[in-house]
Amino acid sequence: MLSKADLEEILQVARRGGDFAEIFIEDKRSTKIGCEDRKIERVITGHEQGAGIRVIRGENTAYGYTNVLKKEELLKLAERVGKAARENPVETIPLVRRESPVKLPVKRRPEEEGIEEKAELVRAAEEAARSVDDKLVRQVTVGYGDVTQRVTIANTDGVYVEDERIRSRLSVNAVAAEGQVIQTGYESAGGTQGLELFDEEKPVDLGRRAARRALLMLNARRAPAGRMPVVLAGEAGGTMIHEACGHGLEADLAQKGLSVYANRQGEQVASELVTVVDDGTLQGKFGTLRFDDEGNPAQRTVLIEGGILRGYMYDRITASREGAGLTGNGRRESFQHRPIPRMTNTYLAPGDASPDEIIRETRAGLLVRRMGGGQVNTTNGDFVFEVTEGYLIQDGEATVPVRGATLTGNGPEVLKQIDMIGRDFGFSIGICGKDGQGVPVSDAQPTIRIPELIVGGILEEEGDCDDRG
Amino acid sequence: MIEVEKLNDRDLVAAAVEDAKRYGADLADAFFSKNHELVIEVRNGEVENLKVARESGIGIRLIKEGRLGFAYTSDLGLDSIRETVRAALANARIGSPDLNNVFPAPPEAYPEMELEDRRLQEIPLEEKIRLAQEIEKSGRGYDGRVRITEQASYQEAQYHVTIANSLGILASYRGSLCGGYASLVAGDDGDQQTGFGLYFTRKFDELDPEAIGREAAFKAVRMLGARRLETRRTAVVFDPYVVTNFLGLIASALSADAVQKGRSLFAGRVGQRVAAEGVTVIDDGTLPKGLMSSPFDGEGVPSQRTFLIKKGTLQGFLHNSYTGAREGVSSTGNAARSSYKSPPEVGTTNFYLAPGEKDPRDIIKNTESGLYLTEVMGMHTANPVSGDFSVGAAGIWIERGELTIPVRGMVIAGNILELLENIDLIGNDLRFFIGTGAPTIRVSGLTVSGQ
Repeated sequence: MLSKADLEEILQVARRGGDFAEIFIEDKRSTKIGCEDRKIERVITGHEQGAGIRVIRGENTAYGYTNVLKKEELLKLAERVGKAARENPVETIPLVRRESPVKLPVKRRPEEEGIEEKAELVRAAEEAARSVDDKLVRQVTVGYGDVTQRVTIANTDGVYVEDERIRSRLSVNAVAAEGQVIQTGYESAGGTQGLELFDEEKPVDLGRRAARRALLMLNARRAPAGRMPVVLAGEAGGTMIHEACGHGLEADLAQKGLSVYANRQGEQVASELVTVVDDGTLQGKFGTLRFDDEGNPAQRTVLIEGGILRGYMYDRITASREGAGLTGNGRRESFQHRPIPRMTNTYLAPGDASPDEIIRETRAGLLVRRMGGGQVNTTNGDFVFEVTEGYLIQDGEATVPVRGATLTGNGPEVLKQIDMIGRDFGFSIGICGKDGQGVPVSDAQPTIRIPELIVGGILEEEGDCDDRG
Repeated sequence: MIEVEKLNDRDLVAAAVEDAKRYGADLADAFFSKNHELVIEVRNGEVENLKVARESGIGIRLIKEGRLGFAYTSDLGLDSIRETVRAALANARIGSPDLNNVFPAPPEAYPEMELEDRRLQEIPLEEKIRLAQEIEKSGRGYDGRVRITEQASYQEAQYHVTIANSLGILASYRGSLCGGYASLVAGDDGDQQTGFGLYFTRKFDELDPEAIGREAAFKAVRMLGARRLETRRTAVVFDPYVVTNFLGLIASALSADAVQKGRSLFAGRVGQRVAAEGVTVIDDGTLPKGLMSSPFDGEGVPSQRTFLIKKGTLQGFLHNSYTGAREGVSSTGNAARSSYKSPPEVGTTNFYLAPGEKDPRDIIKNTESGLYLTEVMGMHTANPVSGDFSVGAAGIWIERGELTIPVRGMVIAGNILELLENIDLIGNDLRFFIGTGAPTIRVSGLTVSGQ
């Protein structure tokens, strides 16, 4: 193990090459259990360790990593990463241990639970999904995963943090088939919790919901094509807000001019009804943190308030570039990556309309009850997200289910249009990808109405004959 | 504890397999990998980010009474390896027994191939930085409207893989690859559009930085002023990169694992027409110059060339040892491991749509009206089980055989089987993007949603 004095010595060597040096040490133990074809097929446990050293000089960053955690190896790495620059005389770096105001109690630590207990969660979800309709549900895939990540973060500002992050996750994918039609339904739950997560998010419920969605989609029509009003239900999750404005409010993209929200602080960028928050401190959510991966405490950051752009999400480099306060958004996938500004738990705050009323007041359009993944081009603001459960709205009522649609819009245009916001609230989880790094996040929103989005369906004249094969 | 450096990779995997046998495994394999990585990102002529890295680890897979267990570690000390073997055995206890869990026996020989540019290590860092700078310079200089560098980079990787199993396989290979990438932003009248260029190869000397930068700039500039058109059904010409995105969807449905588990739309259709006449899809782990070529797969089975679709007819599927045993056929050498951290799954190597004879310019010339599709967004949301896709689309509108105005913010939707069936022209411009390759193609009709 490396002592505080060792870290100080390594940082001192690295810092010779720049204005700032940092070391991030990680020790990660993980378990994965996969079940398919009624069989537990994959049972994987892993142990991975490594360290990343970062040296910043002006606007330039050098990064190196190794998975040999020995002092001599790390000193060598520090020298290599730092050597780009001239010799800087460096005084000693006194590290001061930090505590976070965010407490994340974990009741059932994954490391202390038997693998059999975990397999039982997987079996419960699989059986529940099959039992919804043993004939039409043809395949069920269940994935369980837990991670216990211990990190030590120290830098030449004197930051010294030791933290442990525990995350658990369960996902169910059900395949239903009838005749030539084959459809899927997906559900997942995850949080910064141990196995107690599954007391609340019961595997049986996840399994049933996934199977029911697959069955429902067997009878769905292809979604219509073209521009129409769209109601996103609270239970649909928050993918839209993540894509439509979340990424564009990450400071690195904004500073490089790669975001439609660049240089717009204080401006009206959305409808007055819209308030968007990133909050890494929410108890137990998938994107929750005590500290970000630069050792700064997680916090709640208001991004848009009443339609006005209030601020961006920062890591250390971007915050210091414009003299902004740190927001605890410097995150990285692992020791193999440098930190960059990332979302944590991002949400569109609830309003006061009744969700039912929002649907009732929409004469014709599309109701989205569940969203899947999405993507954004932050440079021009165009985004897409997938509808995994949708219905046509006819005369203020949700009617026939539709499938296979992606919705597209332009972030700033869509945010300005939102004209109704409900008082309900629903979360979804995901692994968000940016610059080749995946980090766990959650997104949430209430029921909202967007008067115009492009629905990527199939033109009517083709009918749904292709549905039936 | 014995120091890591004192054991070579062959000793390590052999020791892991020996341990597994000693602790009671019926069969075992050990997979070692070691990688060096270098990434240089340049912006405005300066090195903005430089990354140097090394990583190694070992994954141990074993079978006990028909049950499979797997564990990995990045700690290569002998104690750690022993602990990992014990973890894999404990994991095997809860796996479901399956007689098709088998490992391959040693083959007679592995194909010989040269995967490494030995010179790569000797080329000084400065030369590689210069290459990244040239990428950016040529892109930014291409047109005054190219204003922002999102990324201009040089990347290289060197890897070393060693595998052993308890049936006697013990083999290894080394390889390297390098390449450049550019993503540039063009701006005009408050409108901003991006374009990218990339090229990866095994040989440093084959890199042409100017071409990479120019391609990114050209693509960004041609999208300026893009707008949304009305919803319609129309012919769509896919550029090779977009085709490779769709090939990813087809690849998962061509895995025997998906077929056996009822998740493939190709299940039960071997010998049938599943695509237009001209469509041939191949996976070739031995392809000369292929970046995913290797002498053997993640289980030690020799790499090979496999026809999946030949002239529109489905020939078969990709197999690893498990899926092969389940059907009584041989593995096609498609057990893929993304790293030492994952057990071998069925995966592709160099996977491509074979080129046709048409010059891509003639494909556009022969299109009365339609969309030349150059970008898709949200491809990961397409459903590989049902084949349904609905993805964001951008490109250039074709009118009377000419490229006219750029379009964006639209969606194309359909089903992958329908798309394969409706491919009516195939270009001669096969191009690989790392492991997936395709030429330009035309699909006779798809719904494009917009205004």
